[in-house]
Amino acid sequence: MRDVAIIGAGMIPFGRRDEDTLLEMLSYASLKALDDAGMGDKKVDAVYVGNMGAGILQHQSSIASSLVDRLSLLPAAADVVENGPASGGSALKNGFLAVASGYYDYVLVVGGEKMREVTGWRATDFVATMTHPEVEYPYGITLPGMAGMFTQLYMEKWGVTREHLLAVTLKNQEMGALNPYAHVEMTLSRDGIFDSPDAVVNNPYAASPLHLYDLCPVSDGAAAVILCPLDVAKKRGKACVQIVGFGQATDTHTLQEREDPTDLKAVTLASQQALEMAKLKPSDISVAELHDAFTILEIAESEHVGFFKKGEGGKAAAAGKTRLGGQIPINVSGGLKARGHPVGGTGVAQVVDIVFQLRHELPENRQVKDAKTGLTINFGGFGNNVTCFVLKRIEP
Amino acid sequence: MKKREIPIIAFKCKKCGRIHYPFHDRCLTCLSRDFEKIHPQGNAKLLTFSAIFNLPWGFDQRFLIIGIAEFENKVKVMGQIKADSIDELQTGMTVLPTWEPVRVKDGENIYGVKFEPIK
Repeated sequence: MRDVAIIGAGMIPFGRRDEDTLLEMLSYASLKALDDAGMGDKKVDAVYVGNMGAGILQHQSSIASSLVDRLSLLPAAADVVENGPASGGSALKNGFLAVASGYYDYVLVVGGEKMREVTGWRATDFVATMTHPEVEYPYGITLPGMAGMFTQLYMEKWGVTREHLLAVTLKNQEMGALNPYAHVEMTLSRDGIFDSPDAVVNNPYAASPLHLYDLCPVSDGAAAVILCPLDVAKKRGKACVQIVGFGQATDTHTLQEREDPTDLKAVTLASQQALEMAKLKPSDISVAELHDAFTILEIAESEHVGFFKKGEGGKAAAAGKTRLGGQIPINVSGGLKARGHPVGGTGVAQVVDIVFQLRHELPENRQVKDAKTGLTINFGGFGNNVTCFVLKRIEP
Repeated sequence: MKKREIPIIAFKCKKCGRIHYPFHDRCLTCLSRDFEKIHPQGNAKLLTFSAIFNLPWGFDQRFLIIGIAEFENKVKVMGQIKADSIDELQTGMTVLPTWEPVRVKDGENIYGVKFEPIK
């Protein structure tokens, strides 16, 4: 297998983008990545598009074919990769393997979603289509509802408290307010959402025991990267980022069939595979982007990846160990919680954020000092299909 | 109309005894393809629950409580919970299963399990 580098990365601001179609968003992010890579008129061999719901939300299929046409990348191979909220991670996996195998040299991976053009209850229903169609979906279960049931169990078994969840919310909102790509550029105060009479109104239950500000927003957005063989990237004479580890694992479709529903086995296995491939330990990682669609997931994933022991993730968050400058900075971008969660785009956006970190190009208030390695977790379904990437800075 | 029997079919692996619901073509533990059909029996124990306030398309109500419960013969099932508030609920409590409409689709009732806390 060849070593694979990321030589270009681009993202458009997430949020509500009424003025853009899905295809336009994918195209804008792709152009940013192509320009960042300095591709000029170099041929792109293949394009992988991570997207979950164009068929449902936009009534549009074959968007990869549309994208290569719009970008004049013809006759590049083009595919859509759908893996729920881990579509972006799976698209990147396909691009990575295509370059690593030696079959393609230059690959564009782009992920995106346009979710705000439908009403909230339609968007909630769209996301709920990833639940089991016979034994879950008919009851009206939603992904926040799944997360609520998971949180109930996690709190009872591992001692996570609402204070711990609050620490994640405040940290990620604070960081998102500094990120020009974030959907929610707004800091929150403890008083406003936790321990004042107003908090009951400002931050009601969304899916008990989770409250409104424990959930990520529903976003429009897209992000893209350009991959090529590492030896080609090195000839460019500037720092680049290598994909040194990848892992993916699955778990039962339904939460009820897991022997211990608080055990996110797919996160553990995917991260073990990726770290083993990278020949690194969790303690070697400089910065991580974890899939905090719900605050509980940042805590649970930080434990399942191995940054903290089981039952210690919540305490670590409350103690500031996951903040910028802490033991392991997590979601310095603001995470899904603040940067936003256009489902098919998230896995690529996480990698773009790590690329920015590893190229040391962020402002001081967001840059992890001397970051050398980064890790991402992209969490599909409710933990039933998870991808993990480990990235490493390569000096010029 | 409330119906007392729960017409759910779960699948017990004849080789290792693992209970599956929903159906799998091969046992999640031992890969056997040989299953015994079983029905949930008795009351159930509430394992977890959540009151959901942002409901999907098709539900015209303020909130919905959904949970997972384990029947006396170890079949685990998701269902709606008949309670006015989560204050009435705690994990481990006994709930009475019923078979009732849980959703309306294209004007037709969709039936499923509802659990009622036993006070």
